[in-house]
Amino acid sequence: MPEEPLVSVPPQPEAMPVAERSLEADRVDAVVIGGGINGTGVARDLSLRGLSVALFERNDLAFGASGNSSGMIHGGVRYLSQAPKVTESSCRDSGYIQRTAPHLLFRIPFLMPLRSGPQGRLMLELVDAYFRAYDDFQPLKRGEPHCRLDASDFSRLEPGLVGSIVGGVTFDEWGVDGARLCVLNAVDAIENGARLHLHTTVESIGRIVDGEAKSPDRYVVEARNRLTQQRTRVRARVVVNATGAWSPITAALGGLPQARARVRPGKGIHIVLDRRVTNYGIVSEAIDGRQMFLFPWQNVSVIGTTDDDYFGDLDDVRATSEEVRYLVQGVARVFPGVRESRAIGTYAGVRPTLFAYGKNEDELSREHEVVDHAADGAPGVYSMLGGKLASYRLFAQELCDAVLPREFDSSVRCTTHTRPLPGGNRVPDAIALATKHGITPVAGRRLVYRHGERAARVLEGTGRRGRELDIACQCEPVLESEVRYVVREEMARTVADVARRTRLGLGACGGMRCAARCGQIVAEELDLPPAEGCAMAREFLERQARTRVVALGPEQARQEALALAHVRASLGDLG
Amino acid sequence: MSRQVIVIGAGVAGTGAAIAAAASARTTVIDGGTGASTLSTGAIDLAPWAHAPESASIPEEVQQALERLGGYVVPDGGSLVLTSAGIARPARGHDAALLDVAPLASGRVGVVRCDRSGWDADALARAWGPRYQPLDATVMRLSDERVLPDADFAARHDDEDRLGWLAERLRDALSHSGRALSALVLPPALGVERARAEALSKRVGMPCGEAIGMPGGPSGLRFERGRDRALSSAGVVRVRARATKIDRAGSRWSVVTDGADTHEGDAVVLATGGLIGGGFEYAPSETMLASVLPPRARAPIRLAIEAPLSIGSRGRPLELPGSLFGIPPESLSWPFAADALFDRAGLLVDENGAATETGGLGLFAAGEITADEPRTWLAALWSGLRAGAAAAREASQRGAEARSIA
Repeated sequence: MPEEPLVSVPPQPEAMPVAERSLEADRVDAVVIGGGINGTGVARDLSLRGLSVALFERNDLAFGASGNSSGMIHGGVRYLSQAPKVTESSCRDSGYIQRTAPHLLFRIPFLMPLRSGPQGRLMLELVDAYFRAYDDFQPLKRGEPHCRLDASDFSRLEPGLVGSIVGGVTFDEWGVDGARLCVLNAVDAIENGARLHLHTTVESIGRIVDGEAKSPDRYVVEARNRLTQQRTRVRARVVVNATGAWSPITAALGGLPQARARVRPGKGIHIVLDRRVTNYGIVSEAIDGRQMFLFPWQNVSVIGTTDDDYFGDLDDVRATSEEVRYLVQGVARVFPGVRESRAIGTYAGVRPTLFAYGKNEDELSREHEVVDHAADGAPGVYSMLGGKLASYRLFAQELCDAVLPREFDSSVRCTTHTRPLPGGNRVPDAIALATKHGITPVAGRRLVYRHGERAARVLEGTGRRGRELDIACQCEPVLESEVRYVVREEMARTVADVARRTRLGLGACGGMRCAARCGQIVAEELDLPPAEGCAMAREFLERQARTRVVALGPEQARQEALALAHVRASLGDLG
Repeated sequence: MSRQVIVIGAGVAGTGAAIAAAASARTTVIDGGTGASTLSTGAIDLAPWAHAPESASIPEEVQQALERLGGYVVPDGGSLVLTSAGIARPARGHDAALLDVAPLASGRVGVVRCDRSGWDADALARAWGPRYQPLDATVMRLSDERVLPDADFAARHDDEDRLGWLAERLRDALSHSGRALSALVLPPALGVERARAEALSKRVGMPCGEAIGMPGGPSGLRFERGRDRALSSAGVVRVRARATKIDRAGSRWSVVTDGADTHEGDAVVLATGGLIGGGFEYAPSETMLASVLPPRARAPIRLAIEAPLSIGSRGRPLELPGSLFGIPPESLSWPFAADALFDRAGLLVDENGAATETGGLGLFAAGEITADEPRTWLAALWSGLRAGAAAAREASQRGAEARSIA
């Protein structure tokens, strides 16, 4: 490679650091930075097309927006008028995800009641027409066409609705566990040769300028594991920045102008209720006119979401009680029962929306964009900006379609729309599985939901030690064997990682009954000192308490007090 | 005629108050059911244990009360007990069923294998440290015992024959293993009527005891049984009802229960617990049905019983928050604030537990319902003893005054 000046295109605030030539480094075709849905999606696609890939994730898979979204592969109905392309691609990709991970999707029928008022009738006609247009896209994702309802239909379908309703519509969407979707992409990438480095933060992206004319590599990425402090160096031809809201930070590590990878971070929070308080998603309006939802999701209900510019720490995004009150007020207006429901937690993430100044949050584009940093003097470095959970696969495909011919002279075609994700080739009969292994039908169904055909692998060989079939987390429920499985096969390294993969500890008790045991198992599996297992359980419980306290209701307050008393008695004081 | 003291609450603070009051006054306990004391897991502390060294000396009156309750040990210099979360933690004292490893010097401790959920002897032995070694033994006799709740399993060892059977199994296990062990630790299983650790230790020939388990296990039940015996031998009258209202009745106090009975006394000790026990309630206005605004702003913590008292902290009553939606939960609860309101709010009392709000006219409070006190087992017992003794003094003084006026 010919030597070239580092700063080729002004203005560039800092030159990309030059890699030290003395250190040894592994080599791969592409380094992907970021273990969210875009990063894992791209790592999978690149691996499937025959490239060698190393992925670095600072925290855990799905730690950011991907694991903290509304958990829907929705068709983007709200973008229909401004950006029908987004709606169409979302619907089409939703259809692909259903085909590749059928076990992970569940139908959420939505009700959209319209309040009576001077323009109620007119609104109903408009909404009806709007959803007629949306119906054209529904077949792409096996969705039912919308239905127009009158007031009596609403009171029959959901008696908890109040207020004078002129009528409204139904529409059909699909729920998904976003964290599981990331994990499945990651696992498939690994199985196709990718190396994943989780809890590993990239510390520099350096340019190779040592004149190795024959080397195809252009960059050296240096990273440090935040749990073990171990350092890794990888040489690569291509570097993909898929770090979502962290994108400008990542760009800066390579000395690239932050403005070129700029996003407008938008914080969104959700409140989790302890059960399915309704079987329909219910659309309502917040005090400022924003649309929001209460919807059943797996075995809980979720209220979401907010969208506010975020100026805080991306590694510690949490809901505040103010945001909780804003959402509860908005839902209570049409579904007052929500005030009597029991909140068991909140979660929050930061959307990496495409940057624009002077627009309000709802007007921002939900499209995605690949930034080619060749223009910044860094050929082969790409940033993936924007995007939605529902269109991650398409985003990954677009990046690969652009990069492969240009950088690797390859024309291997994309297969991610047809190739099943791990466990997605067949959905086994959960009840039969449960009966065969002597676990409860509920545990069997949850296991099949999360693992599809691979549920059988989780249970494989569990007969040898009886304890493996014990339930580690009663709320979800999660078997001890699944905790071990996600440590062995899905790269979980802490109690919080296990929670992201299995939902252990995210139920009503907030981990009080399971965190310590989970910590023991994780420590045992990873051959860590047992004290580290206790420490990660304490950390998890404290984090849980922080995210739950903001939604404290009377019942929850007592539960928290009890959890605290137990933690103090058995794990040591926190804080 | 001796004067009447009414104690509301039969947790550890109420029990302390009743024992102390019964020494010089007729005493009735109104017991509304289980609370935080029943959820205690067996380690007893004077101050939050991670914050204070546990060698503080135990006052004589507390020692005596522990003897009356039976089943508790407070060694000089404190103890070291094992938790099933995998740590050894210091405690000022402990439920006598727990194994105290402090006096064992460096001897090896066998962790008895028992295939019950939450008890992985191998993982626990590793967690507690190198001196702990798993020991194979048969401790379950019936097929349901694998999934039986801790307390139900523990109740089986109230039976003398069953305890004998367990001792034999443990002796067998020890002789088979051929290892030199100096103590055995078991899951929370050693009796509900009373702690059976000592009896088991004698039969096995070495110290045997439980590790701390989850809240709701046998330790809380053993407290209840010990309390029942202590109150009964002290001649305390028990009323099973929930007190709903404390009111003045001339120069005395009347306590109304949910059974619509009224009990009159010269002094009342309120020991109904904190948030867990139900002595005070968290009742934010926003849980009320309201389309947009709650009906009124109010302090979200209130006393669960109707009484001429209000919740406060640091010498001042709790103020109306400057928000329609109440105090932000972030300032109410751990872990956001080191001195979260839930941890310090309660009734304002003087050092004897007399409610400062009523000017000490015979209304007392003890335990977790008092403000700004460490919320620990021994602290609750001690505050109960002080309040009970003061209530009895107050009752007899007021009785004397009443007589002299007559």
